[in-house]
Amino acid sequence: MNRPSHIARIGRFTALALFLFFALGPLAWIIITSLKGPKEIYTFPIKYLPSHPSLESYRQLFRFANFGIYFRNSFFVTMEGAVGAMILSAFGGYALSRFKFKSAKRAMILVLYVTQTIPTFMLMLPLYLLMADLHAVDNLGALGLIYMVSVLAFCVIMAKSFFDRIPASLEEAAEIDGCSMLQSLLRVIMPLLAPGMVAIFSFAFVNIWNELFVAVLFMSSPDKLTVPVALNSFISKAGISWDVLSAGIVMALLPTMLVFAIGQRYIVAGLTEGGVKE
Amino acid sequence: MKDLRTRNLALYLVPTFLPVALLVYAPVVKSMVIAFRRYSMFDLRDTPFVGFGNFSDIFGDSAFPFLQILGNTFIWIFASLVLQFVLGFCLALLLREKFRGRGVYTSLVFYTWAVSGFAIGLIWSWIFNGQFGLANDILMRLHLISRPIGFLSNPKYALVAVIVANVWYGIPFFGIMLLAALQSVPKELYEAAKIDGAGAVGRLFRVTIPYISATIVSTTLLRMMWIMNFPEIIYGMTNGGPANSTNILATQMINKIYKEYNYGQGAALSLIIMVLLFILAFAYLSIANRKEFES
Repeated sequence: MNRPSHIARIGRFTALALFLFFALGPLAWIIITSLKGPKEIYTFPIKYLPSHPSLESYRQLFRFANFGIYFRNSFFVTMEGAVGAMILSAFGGYALSRFKFKSAKRAMILVLYVTQTIPTFMLMLPLYLLMADLHAVDNLGALGLIYMVSVLAFCVIMAKSFFDRIPASLEEAAEIDGCSMLQSLLRVIMPLLAPGMVAIFSFAFVNIWNELFVAVLFMSSPDKLTVPVALNSFISKAGISWDVLSAGIVMALLPTMLVFAIGQRYIVAGLTEGGVKE
Repeated sequence: MKDLRTRNLALYLVPTFLPVALLVYAPVVKSMVIAFRRYSMFDLRDTPFVGFGNFSDIFGDSAFPFLQILGNTFIWIFASLVLQFVLGFCLALLLREKFRGRGVYTSLVFYTWAVSGFAIGLIWSWIFNGQFGLANDILMRLHLISRPIGFLSNPKYALVAVIVANVWYGIPFFGIMLLAALQSVPKELYEAAKIDGAGAVGRLFRVTIPYISATIVSTTLLRMMWIMNFPEIIYGMTNGGPANSTNILATQMINKIYKEYNYGQGAALSLIIMVLLFILAFAYLSIANRKEFES
């Protein structure tokens, strides 16, 4: 090993360490804050580590701030939206991948891509008015449905790119053997697409779980708020108490951490395959 | 048999395109109509057509000067984008060669992608807190400043602070996207460039960047559109303040809808955003389409 490459290696690992520190530092800091008591949170110069780490903030979060209910609401809405988008995108993506008419196919892909340029806020008001007409405002089921559609276009684009890599000869063979089209899709093709479905589900889950503004507009009953709306309401209420808020933020991060840990490999593949919007 | 197949495929497309038409495209059209009406939550029955009234109200708003908002929007977009791209590219180059633990490292760094914009805003508003913030603490321990700075209450620093948070969020995105592209560059190209006497920098600019230029163009364009539509971080940190210094078009729209309940102006602002985005979107789509139909 000669000298310059040795220095280059040290430089490279220093840079990698800095990137890691910058990426994880803020997350670590909010976790540390959530384990301190109010006394140690509000000191300057800062005490970097809590002298008596405790889960008191979390206890308060669940006992007094009803966080359990918000968590359940968010989970319900997110599962409805993400599972729904995953199922619909399996059919839509498959059909789009196998469709024979070039110009129709091209137009449909364009229609899906254009949705990626539309600001979400542009949809919020008309959707709100529509849901008000249908008496579906302040309804978790309807919110989940809207979320499903909001991620659907990109999920279909992702699904199409996954199906493109699976040769059509597979389902043709199955159909010659007597499978119906639906059977060949579900029994022959779908098992091969499992990683792709994990990517689509994770993508949808993360995006829906994190959504704030639509939920703020749609949900008003205290027992129907989602986690981001609840965090938002912690702020509006007379000043921010960072002990409970930091615990709330950490709790809001946990499910996406979990989904990300499971689906990360597939998400990366999905995003880089599908062209990208978050 | 063939006809049946085509008919079935068309049937499979219905559950995608029907909801997209009803809950994405129809609302867009309706929003465009609302932009030209007086439309306030306080009186939803009386929504007269006011022509360009909402737009002239936005352009003439003295409490929220439009030119300042537009300027903030462009600084927000370009500063965030350039820093995200350059740092993300560095990260991708660092990750290109294998090392032990690269998989774990990548997932740790990339996790920020899954954090919500609003949570990012909150986390960074705590870090930039004027009294108890980590940023002040570190800068003072390094003797770079002598007393705490009110990063989010001082118009001089607030825009910088929200951009730092946005850069933090975007680096991994570019890192991952560009890494995938880098791995597609054939090794022989570098060998050839080496023989021609190109150094590391020369290889970067003459081989790597030209080879992955399509990815660079499409990711930066997409990201640009996306950042423009991304008020969450700012909402969580400053909500456009202090003194309008971090107000961008998207946060101004949030203000109009959630604080003033002025849906007409909110819709007009979204139309302005849409028009500004249209040029970018057009460029992006031509690239995306070309990529789509090459394969």
